[in-house]
Amino acid sequence: MNVIFALCFSVCTLILLFTDPDGALAAMLSGGEKALALTLKMTVIYAVWLGIFELAERSRLTEKFARLLKPVNRFLFGELPEKANEYISLNISANMLGMSGATTPMGIKSIRELEKYRNTEYQIAMFFVINATSIQIFPTSVLALRTSLNAAAPSDIILPTILATAVSTAAGILLVKMFLRKKRK
Amino acid sequence: MKYILPAMFILIIACALFKKVRPYDAFVAGAGQAIPFAAKLFPYLATIFVLTELFERSGAADAVSSFLAPAFRLLGIPPELSKLVLVKPFSGNGALALLTEIYETYGVDGYIARCASVIYGSSETVFYVAAVYFAGAKTKNLTAPILISLFASLCACVFACFICLVM
Repeated sequence: MNVIFALCFSVCTLILLFTDPDGALAAMLSGGEKALALTLKMTVIYAVWLGIFELAERSRLTEKFARLLKPVNRFLFGELPEKANEYISLNISANMLGMSGATTPMGIKSIRELEKYRNTEYQIAMFFVINATSIQIFPTSVLALRTSLNAAAPSDIILPTILATAVSTAAGILLVKMFLRKKRK
Repeated sequence: MKYILPAMFILIIACALFKKVRPYDAFVAGAGQAIPFAAKLFPYLATIFVLTELFERSGAADAVSSFLAPAFRLLGIPPELSKLVLVKPFSGNGALALLTEIYETYGVDGYIARCASVIYGSSETVFYVAAVYFAGAKTKNLTAPILISLFASLCACVFACFICLVM
C-alpha cells in the first residue's frame, strides 16, 4: 500500500502542478469531505446492525446459524475458531442476500477474531478475497438505474451478472488455495 | 425479498425474549461499538478518497485507461469500458458515474451498456473493502490478497464481455 500511495500521490500531484495547480488541494479536500460523509453513513449502519447483532448473539441465534454453515466454511477455510466461524457465516450470508449494511460490521469482527489466533493468515486472506470479489446476488443499483433510463429489459443483465460474480469468486478462492495454502502449518 | 429483513428482525427479538435476554441493554451494547469502529475507519477512507480524487482530477485515470485499452482489447474488453474496469476497484461512486455516462453515450440496451452493467454488478471496490475491513487491524501485508482479488475481478470482466455476446 505504501508503494502505491507514494507512486500515485507523487505522479498525480506532479501532473496537477503543470495542468491545474489550484486543483491539487481542492481535489484532496473534496476527497476528505467524501470520506467524512461516508464515515458518518457507516457509523449509522454500524450502530443499527451491531445492535441487532448483539441481540442475536446474546440469544444464541448466531451460534445455531453458524452450525448450519459449518460444512461450507470448513471447505473454504479449514479449521476455524468457533467465534470466527460464527462471524464469517453471518458475513457471507449477508453478502449473498445483498444486505450490504450488515456485511461490513460482521467482516470487521471476523478479521479481529481471526487475528487473535496464530497462523490464520490463510483464513484472513481467503475471507478478504471472498468479500472483495463480491458474491452479491442482485445487482440492485444497476437494475434501478436501467429501469429509470427505460431500458427495454432492465433485468436481462441479472443472470450474466450472477455468472460473472461466480467466476470472480471461484477464481479468487482457487487462487488463494493455490498460492497461500502452503504458508499454513 | 423485501419481507426478509423485517421478518428476520422479528425472529431475532422473539428469540431474545424467549431466551430472557435484556433486549435494551444488548442493543445499546452493540450500538456502542459503532463509534470506535467508525473512528478507526475514517483515516483509511480519507486517505483512499484523497488518492482517488487526485487520480481523477489529474487526468491520470484517463491516461492509464487509454494506455491499457489495447491490452484490454486483447482480452475481449471493449476500449469504451477500460476506464470503468480501472475505476471500479477504487471507487463505487466513481464507477456508478461512469456507468451512467456510458448509458447516456451508448444507449441502455446496446452491447456496450449491457457489458458495463455486468462489469459494474459483478466486481467489487477492492481497495475500499481492504481499507474498511483492515482499518485498525494487525494484518499489514495485504499485497497477495489484493492482487488475487484484482485478478479475479479482471477474470469476471473478461467473462462478462464474453457472456454478453452470447446471452
